[in-house]
Amino acid sequence: MSARFDWKWIPRGIALGILAFVIFGPLANLLLWTVTERWYFPHVLPLKYGFSFWANVFSPRGNAMSSLGTSVFIATLTVILSLGLAIPAGYALARLRLPFRGLILLALLIPQAFPNLPVYVNIARIFYQYGLNGTILGVVLVHVTHGLVYAVWIATAAFSAIDRELEEAARSMGASALRGFWDVTLPIAAPGLLASAIFVFLESLDEFTGTYFVGAPDVTTLPLLLYTAGAGGNYQIASITALILLVPSIAFMFVVERFLRSDVLSKVGH
Amino acid sequence: MKTKLIASTLAAGIFCTPLSAAELTVLTAGDKNMVDYVNEYLGPLFEKGNPGTKVRVVGTGPGDAGSQKILERFEAQDKAGVEKWDADVAVVHEKFVGPMVEQRFLEAYRSKIPTGSLVTRENAKIALGTNVDGYVMPMFNSQTALAYNPALVPNPPKSYDEIVEFAKKNPKQFGYNGIKGGASGVSFVMGWIYAYGEGDAQKLMNGPFDPNEAKNWDKAFASLKEFTRNATLTPGNAGTLDMLSRGEIAVGPVWVDMFYSWKANGQLPPEMKLVLPSPGMPGQPMHYVIPAKSANKELAEKFVALATSPKVQAEGIVERFNWYPGIDAQHVQANLDKETWEKLFTDISPEELAKYGKPFPIAPYNSAILEAYERQVGN
Amino acid sequence: MNARSETKVVHGWGSEELPQPDSAGAFRTIHADSLKAGGRRFAMPIHLIGFLLVAPALAIVVLLFIVPLVSSITGAFDVGGAFSLGNFTKAFELYSRDMLFTLTIVLMSSALIGLFSIMIGGYLTLGSNPRAVAILRWIYRWPLFIPFIVVGQILRTFLAKNGLMNNIFIELGLMTPLSAVSFLDWRGIVIAFVWKQTPFVALLLSGAMASIDRSTIEAARNLGANRLRILIEIVLPQVRTTLLVGLILSFVTMMSVLSVPLMINAQSPTMITANMAFRINAYRDYGVANALGLISLLMTSAVAWVYLRQTMREHSR
Repeated sequence: MSARFDWKWIPRGIALGILAFVIFGPLANLLLWTVTERWYFPHVLPLKYGFSFWANVFSPRGNAMSSLGTSVFIATLTVILSLGLAIPAGYALARLRLPFRGLILLALLIPQAFPNLPVYVNIARIFYQYGLNGTILGVVLVHVTHGLVYAVWIATAAFSAIDRELEEAARSMGASALRGFWDVTLPIAAPGLLASAIFVFLESLDEFTGTYFVGAPDVTTLPLLLYTAGAGGNYQIASITALILLVPSIAFMFVVERFLRSDVLSKVGH
Repeated sequence: MKTKLIASTLAAGIFCTPLSAAELTVLTAGDKNMVDYVNEYLGPLFEKGNPGTKVRVVGTGPGDAGSQKILERFEAQDKAGVEKWDADVAVVHEKFVGPMVEQRFLEAYRSKIPTGSLVTRENAKIALGTNVDGYVMPMFNSQTALAYNPALVPNPPKSYDEIVEFAKKNPKQFGYNGIKGGASGVSFVMGWIYAYGEGDAQKLMNGPFDPNEAKNWDKAFASLKEFTRNATLTPGNAGTLDMLSRGEIAVGPVWVDMFYSWKANGQLPPEMKLVLPSPGMPGQPMHYVIPAKSANKELAEKFVALATSPKVQAEGIVERFNWYPGIDAQHVQANLDKETWEKLFTDISPEELAKYGKPFPIAPYNSAILEAYERQVGN
Repeated sequence: MNARSETKVVHGWGSEELPQPDSAGAFRTIHADSLKAGGRRFAMPIHLIGFLLVAPALAIVVLLFIVPLVSSITGAFDVGGAFSLGNFTKAFELYSRDMLFTLTIVLMSSALIGLFSIMIGGYLTLGSNPRAVAILRWIYRWPLFIPFIVVGQILRTFLAKNGLMNNIFIELGLMTPLSAVSFLDWRGIVIAFVWKQTPFVALLLSGAMASIDRSTIEAARNLGANRLRILIEIVLPQVRTTLLVGLILSFVTMMSVLSVPLMINAQSPTMITANMAFRINAYRDYGVANALGLISLLMTSAVAWVYLRQTMREHSR
């Protein structure tokens, strides 16, 4: 201990310690269940550890890996489509004087605001009629209707938070509106938009009921398995599946952050 | 945007295996082990016997919600006017077979398969009051019973009266999951009404429906409300097992099949036991059904015939899961050694099962009792 | 308000130098510009452009969700083939306590989520120690990646009376087995929601905070303002919209989650979604379920409207 110990680390350490316990305590619970063979009262920790449930999840006929692949593929498409739709919509809602602006935003909120349970029969019926059932496109569209809530609302907020002056400044220097949008507005809104990309990705990656009604049996994703195991109280299988789903989520987050950082940096450099 | 759509449509083509005539799709309600059962045992067995076919299975989740999702899927295809449905076989809870038959979603296939004559139990003909004779083959029969840890409760309650007594002496040590969290709690409530309702329990199970019957339950619900104060409410079927596993409750009603899977998964102490209290608690079968518009009806019939054959019922249902077989017991027993067969009845004897294993009330009474519970106990 | 004018001062742009939007069509020229062909201005009504930009997103939601929703909602007003409010009466009769419970739980969770995410976002933006900021950044996001159904499961086995948390405390000697209590009631739901949703709002908020102009913060710091004051008086007003949006999206998400109340809360009252599931699975009663769904939708719309009205006012300024 040198004399230059920073005493502020004491409150800081306590606060971060508590936060770490709050966050990692339940996660440790998840991790423990992934390697538990036997665990019940009155034992504080598992009685027996092992990987037999991993073998179950990855059994060749279980198709866990191909389901994971499908999940990630669908989530990626959902993000691309959602952001592609949300950026122009968000810009218009934030910047242009649209009639019924409030109603439009509310309408986009509805897929998330009305608990979906009683609606799935009708959604499935419509998808059957259009021949979209059992296709990746069908599942992506279902996920997009839910993802748009996040994407559009966040994009609207991100665009309206930007000072108009910056755009105006760019334009007064002779940039076209599109150019100004591309060079000035979009980079400033980027953190918000990319955050929304993460939420859309996660929303799609964790969704199961819509996937069942529109995708299964032709399109199966990993959360379908997660749901059956989780709702039935099969802790090991549910924990392992959740852990597997963490990998693409975190990878996506990482990619987004890298992208974000280089983007922000390049802006600073100019 | 257009290229994206094309790309995803293309991808859809790549990702989905082309629908060949020999692909059999099974939808199953229930836990992960039901999916595993088809995937790891029944599927390979069927494929071996029918070269060139492929069985794929989709789990729709445990409990009524899982069967409801299958029913809704049928409804959606029916309303959309789909010619060939995308499911060939479904495994659903008893309660959902009635509505499926009434809406003409199902194929009457029992007389067409060789194992059809091996089932004589009443619950393969009537499902909660609806005539489903011919449309179903039971996969297995399940029963609710009280699970307890003999280390904590050496003398478990053997009747509803003793349960009341037990809860009084050991407040909060009895737990059940109300009626919103799954059928094991529902079953406990139905058993309560069978025991303490002032009407005739037989009438509830067999009909006919009489709306005035409801007033006979008022006292029973009042005492149940009183009882529930001394009990613990658990979150769901799995929630009861969960609290049992952590020793937070000592006794609780569970599905026998779930009880054994939790034991097999190492989530319950191996010494836990079951008891079926008098005058009885309801149980129900899970049924195999075949949609009338299945694209592979013949294959589906072959599949169910295999699944309900004495050998598979013995090996797959009794030996693998320790579940009560769907077809009549004597056909299954012949395929098993004595020890395995008797393992089925370690905690609950065949006599007790015959005496105290009840059906659920017919559908209208079922709803009436649940709603009365909501009004009189839940609120 | 302060912060806004300050920003402008720092930039050296007086607001009077800015082009003011006219009352009928804001920035009419901007968008007409982008569409000009060969130097000739092609004036397209601003409403139409805006509408065209919104239309694709709106079309997807309307066609693939609102149309099926409407065909199922009409059932809420239908009792035995005739128009009736019977389903609503029944919904209120049986579940009015649950509606109140749901609203209380979700509002309480939203308030806590807001508070914690401001704390996290604030420290990430204003924290002076880069190492502590980095640690916090690394820690806080994890729950975001855990699906709700798994959140239900791991918190159930964590927060129970004999769950992992109490067991750890008992092992560490921090409490006795007798004083162990279960959190598996309304508190469990709130904990689950706050645990899962705080990172969501905090991520949005810290993103918004990162994009505000640092120079105002530096200026205030040079004037000797402490960090809490900077957070409340300078940073928060500038990210207020984002905070509200994050909270509303959280609110909406929590209102429609089914697995958490089902897996954590056994007692009655319970949340609206659990009742909807029960109406459908137990009675196949879509009428009351849809009525409950509409009530839930109205609650969310009311909350969302607060935000919309406020931004409208900002818009018309």
